[in-house]
Amino acid sequence: MQVKKIFLPESELPRQWYNIAADMPTPLEPPLHPGTGEPIGPDALAPIFPMPLIEQEVSQERFIDIPEPVLEKYLIWRPTPMYRAFNLEKHLDTPAKIYFKNEGVSPPGSHKPNTALAQAYYNKISGTKRITTETGAGQWGSALSMCCSLFGLECKVYMVKISYQQKPYRRLMMETWGATCIPSPSSETNAGRKILEKNPDSPGSLGIAISEAVEAAVTDENTKYSLGSVLNHVMLHQTIVGQEAQKQMALFGDYPDVVIGCAGGGSNFAGMTFPFIRDKINGKQVEILAVEPASCPTMTRGPFAYDFGDTVQMTPLLPMYTLGHSFVPEPIHAGGLRYHGMAPLVSQLILDGLITPLAVHQLETFEAGITFARTEGFISAPETDHAVAALIREAKKAKEEGKEKVILLNWSGHGLVDMAAYEAYLSGKLKNHELPQEEIDRALSDIAPLPKPKQYKK
Amino acid sequence: MKNIVPPNERYEIRCPKLGHQISFSYCRVENQGLPCPKTIDCWHIHFRVRAYLKEELTLEEFNKAFVFRPKPKMMTLIDLIEQAKTEKEDNST
Repeated sequence: MQVKKIFLPESELPRQWYNIAADMPTPLEPPLHPGTGEPIGPDALAPIFPMPLIEQEVSQERFIDIPEPVLEKYLIWRPTPMYRAFNLEKHLDTPAKIYFKNEGVSPPGSHKPNTALAQAYYNKISGTKRITTETGAGQWGSALSMCCSLFGLECKVYMVKISYQQKPYRRLMMETWGATCIPSPSSETNAGRKILEKNPDSPGSLGIAISEAVEAAVTDENTKYSLGSVLNHVMLHQTIVGQEAQKQMALFGDYPDVVIGCAGGGSNFAGMTFPFIRDKINGKQVEILAVEPASCPTMTRGPFAYDFGDTVQMTPLLPMYTLGHSFVPEPIHAGGLRYHGMAPLVSQLILDGLITPLAVHQLETFEAGITFARTEGFISAPETDHAVAALIREAKKAKEEGKEKVILLNWSGHGLVDMAAYEAYLSGKLKNHELPQEEIDRALSDIAPLPKPKQYKK
Repeated sequence: MKNIVPPNERYEIRCPKLGHQISFSYCRVENQGLPCPKTIDCWHIHFRVRAYLKEELTLEEFNKAFVFRPKPKMMTLIDLIEQAKTEKEDNST
């Protein structure tokens, strides 16, 4: 019988996070303040994040030790298993060897607690009593709630009111882990009260919930805020995934030709791929695929430039792959992958040619998710299905080329609370869309006069 | 030709921001009374949402809802910190 999966022993849990900032061929350009044009320093984030996390945000150290208390609690679900997808290989009749790393085994069901745990710990040792955050359906909120409970911190989650009323299960998960869930808008903050004065029946929005969570942190010295995506320290914490994967691949006796992850805010993608990108920088032949929806091609078709976040050009400038601030993406139905700009670290690595962005249509993603579920058993989160679709493309390509390619996938989370999205696909409600080039050209003309990063590429 | 009238309340689709199913009436007012910037993206496959909103909204409202793009997360955070600090200072004086 062939080996189907590899569980690393707990003694093999990585002891450090990997910081790719130390190895970037082109150092990351800092965000600029739109008024002064000067870089925004870490002090701008001090009101909401504890200093150890701000230090990690700007750190250039290649490896950062994982504190012992974090390691101890990672052991609740880590190391996560790596599987060989024999059934999928057989179904596709491909010579490719397919591996996937299962991050869906964490208690909340995704990779998100990898950073939630670290953030809870650094807040704890910095004297924080309470952490706030915002959530919609509750995936990030539930991860943070669990991790706060593990370190004895209070957790207050501003949950969009319509979600609070309609999605009781993740709210109950959060409350089971001891968090306080507040339907937003609430009367607890200025931001919430202003909304309620105008409309007492407001169903809320993610924007209002973020405003409340940040305000609660800024106005109480014992309270900080936590974010589960985009920022450098979040990516850093996720690299435990890729480091475990490297050890597991070695135990299988293989090394990937292709590593695939879905890229939204970038954290699960960065977690799996950054350690392999380090190998690539040091000469290894490995292709890194970042998968995004075909209808929102921020990575695949936009140039790299400084972009304002709004059309009045008041917000800070961030260098990122962008289609311009007046770009309106075409329709797509896909959870957490809808971003106007990719995380700056990932954008820079694309620009340096170390990551290949790939766009996949939504119908293809659900077809892939169904195929994966019917062969390997696991039902993927809708976002994860993007990576699964790219994996199947690569496996088919290997068949066409007659190559025994080794493909590694980050299976970032299960979709067991997302079955309504599958129902929409299975009932035929979803459709594909292609973004016309003329629409992209029109959007790009908006950013033509903006300042460009040094390595601006058309 | 698809219908220009929104589907009824029982017809729900998955909201990519919230991560669960919602009806059109929520999207129509999500942005402080204006439509969520993603409304056309999400609903155009279900009915003629752009035509409907162009009839429902003034040109100014339409542009405010759909031409202004959501800010990247880090910019949003910095804005919100400054806003909360200013309000805190105002309240203490």
